[in-house]
Amino acid sequence: MSNNKLTTDHHDDAPHITSYVEHFGTWISLILLTFMTVFISVFGADLNTLTVATALFIASVKALVVAYYFMHLKYDPKLYKIMMLVVMALFMVFLIMLTIDYLTR
Amino acid sequence: MEHSFVLPNSGHTYDAKASKLGMWLFLYTELLLFGGLFIVYMVYRSLNPDAFLMASLNLNVWMGTVNTVVLLTSSMTVAMSITAIQLGNSKLSLKLLLITVFAAVVFLVIKYFEWGAKIEHGLWPGMEHFGSLSHGEQLYFYLYFFMTGLHGLHVIVGMIFIVVVMNKIKKGSINKDKNQLLENSGLYWHLVDLIWIYLFPLFYLIH
Amino acid sequence: MTDSSVSQPNFFEVKKGLFSWIFSLDHKRIGLLYLYSVGSFFLVGAALGVLMRLELFNPGADLIEAKTYNQVFTLHGVIMIFLFIIPSIPAVFGNFFLPIMLGTDDVAFPRLNLLSWWLYVLGALFALSTLVFGDGPADTGWTFYAPYSVKTGTNVSMSVLAAFILGFSSILTGLNFIVTIHRLRAPGMGFNQMPLFAWALYATSWIQLLATPIIGITLLMIVAERMLGIGLFDPSIGGDPILYQHLFWIYSHPAVYIMALPAMGIVSEIIPTFAQRTIFGYKAIAYSSLAIAFVGYFVWGHHMFTSGMSGPAAYIFSILTFFVAIPTSIKVFNWLATMYKGSINVQVPLLYAVAFIFNFLIGGLTGLVVGALAADVHLHDTYFVVGHFHYVMFGGTGFAFFGALHYWYPKIWGKMYNKLIANIAFAILFIGFNTLYFPMLILGIKGMPRRYYDYLPEFHTLNQISTVGSWILIIGLLLMIFNLFKGYFSKQKAPANPWNGITLEWQTQSPPTLYNFDKAPELVEGGPYNYPNAMKG
Repeated sequence: MSNNKLTTDHHDDAPHITSYVEHFGTWISLILLTFMTVFISVFGADLNTLTVATALFIASVKALVVAYYFMHLKYDPKLYKIMMLVVMALFMVFLIMLTIDYLTR
Repeated sequence: MEHSFVLPNSGHTYDAKASKLGMWLFLYTELLLFGGLFIVYMVYRSLNPDAFLMASLNLNVWMGTVNTVVLLTSSMTVAMSITAIQLGNSKLSLKLLLITVFAAVVFLVIKYFEWGAKIEHGLWPGMEHFGSLSHGEQLYFYLYFFMTGLHGLHVIVGMIFIVVVMNKIKKGSINKDKNQLLENSGLYWHLVDLIWIYLFPLFYLIH
Repeated sequence: MTDSSVSQPNFFEVKKGLFSWIFSLDHKRIGLLYLYSVGSFFLVGAALGVLMRLELFNPGADLIEAKTYNQVFTLHGVIMIFLFIIPSIPAVFGNFFLPIMLGTDDVAFPRLNLLSWWLYVLGALFALSTLVFGDGPADTGWTFYAPYSVKTGTNVSMSVLAAFILGFSSILTGLNFIVTIHRLRAPGMGFNQMPLFAWALYATSWIQLLATPIIGITLLMIVAERMLGIGLFDPSIGGDPILYQHLFWIYSHPAVYIMALPAMGIVSEIIPTFAQRTIFGYKAIAYSSLAIAFVGYFVWGHHMFTSGMSGPAAYIFSILTFFVAIPTSIKVFNWLATMYKGSINVQVPLLYAVAFIFNFLIGGLTGLVVGALAADVHLHDTYFVVGHFHYVMFGGTGFAFFGALHYWYPKIWGKMYNKLIANIAFAILFIGFNTLYFPMLILGIKGMPRRYYDYLPEFHTLNQISTVGSWILIIGLLLMIFNLFKGYFSKQKAPANPWNGITLEWQTQSPPTLYNFDKAPELVEGGPYNYPNAMKG
């Protein structure tokens, strides 16, 4: 592990400027996803448990889009992606361990 | 006292990257703060699936959808305001931030009416009608009020953060070359949005 | 610029007056602010501990009655955990020495650093306010287990809010250190050229950052239940108190490593300096800190074996618990290997470091005993756990804290304490400590339950030995503190590098100047512990 890998300064100093159009496009996709999830929930109620899974899946896609484009993660150094993955993985571990307890009681 | 020698790695110089890293680290703590609540939600929902479904019918999907759109839009404007300031257009940046703050107010007003309707129907903990609900439904509303309440608190904090940033843009201390604080307020605002993205389906769309 | 570094005013002399301290942005002053506040609370907590030992000298309520006893052990726990041991090494020595050891002039966010200290003070005020307001301090134990913490009439809300605020302070310190380590290392100092204390703090900071929020929200839920009636852990409507325990230990088990890892960092600094030798297995020690932090997240369930968790979950948590022993023993073996055939210079800090290894070994091995599922069913909630915990926390972290105090004393104040008295104080402290806590391990095996003001007559002798141990311990402690104070007022100045250390803090004058360095610090070639005259191999 060299010095540079874990520091944030291995990118060039000029920040990446996201265009207005790109932000607008991101917004459109988020709105579309929102309508999609509402539509599935309200009009596709017979899917039952599947609706929850779909809703959570779409929410995760939306969250990813927000983090990747609005929060600029796409253009950030690798460190930020690694840290985000670690945090998410940690949270998943909490969930899994708790599930083990509750499922086997 | 004169400071004749300045270290190349001094902690006293402006360092946008340090500031950004610090903000992200703070966001992780916020994520896990809500994460704890999501854990509680998951456990209680898996223990009372039907009651949660019943209780969720009390929420107004359309109000939730409007609020989602409002927050997503404000997320876009705050992201655009960063683009604007990076291109040197502080005026546009200010306008976009104003829209963001306005959207935040709209969000809170809608939330206020939603909560008001719940309380009117006697769904606040301790009220008479609330006591007649099944146990699972009570847990649902506890979670609903706790989570959306905490989220609302974050909306208010984010708003204050953005107003502070707007002031600094007006004074010129946030500008084309030095705008990390604006970016940080944007990151915070996106986090508020991010959490709502999960709250919305978990409370409104689970039927 | 004149060459002589002695002519520069040190950070004590730059400014005087109370306000120059409590609003200081200088990491060294903030570190000392923490030292004074943390130290004071340690004495308060220790006094409460002695009070409990006095009550337990004889069976029956002869000094304090049941409820008071419950409140005393709760306050002892809250003070020692949240006000002393969590901030102790990171906030005191981390603040003071991390920037210097990295060769920079401050932490990344000096103002945030000051805010952390103020939050600490605020949290302390909240914790102490329970003595005055409401129906007295909480009587729940420092774990605030629901549903009792919700039902009891004592002032739990304030104690819980205190823990919340202190958690926030701890998060901000951790955040500051991570950014400092990423951004402010001296040019040429990669992650693998950092001193091991910095590595330990790095791992600690990540735990502070990623575990504390969980307890923050959990404690808020307790407050919401007490104040708003939002009863998320209320069993009468299907709420699950065991879920509270899960959430509590998701933080509080990793928090044990917030307390232990920095202590290991201190030991990793002291041992190579007094062995005058490159540390054995630098990378193994550095990465095992991260490994401990990582594994530490997956073992919280071993606090709940008897709480009604499911059997399979208990097996899994028990097995995972044993994995923590691996990185921990990696460290111990490396320390021993560093000392082996080194030209050891026996000084007070080294004695404390070796005592750390001894006590921590007992604490760690008894930890494996209670980590084993079957044994724990018998030992849970007995004095065995109390003994184990104090061996790790006091015998481990506490002794490392004292060791650090003696190690860096000449650097911080530019003076030297009386080494003979320091040695005597150490000996008394060490004997007192073991007399106090070893009987607890035996009492636990014999089945004496914890958290009672009273006990059966057959436990009398061992309890008396333990209480006598607490007196010896206090004598040693007071002698040590007296000696440190006396050293401060002595006229004789300490040399800038009395121990012949080679990490960067020994390159500055003692006490350091306001900006730590007057010229770029020179990194040691070949790693931070590459002693020039050391025997190789």
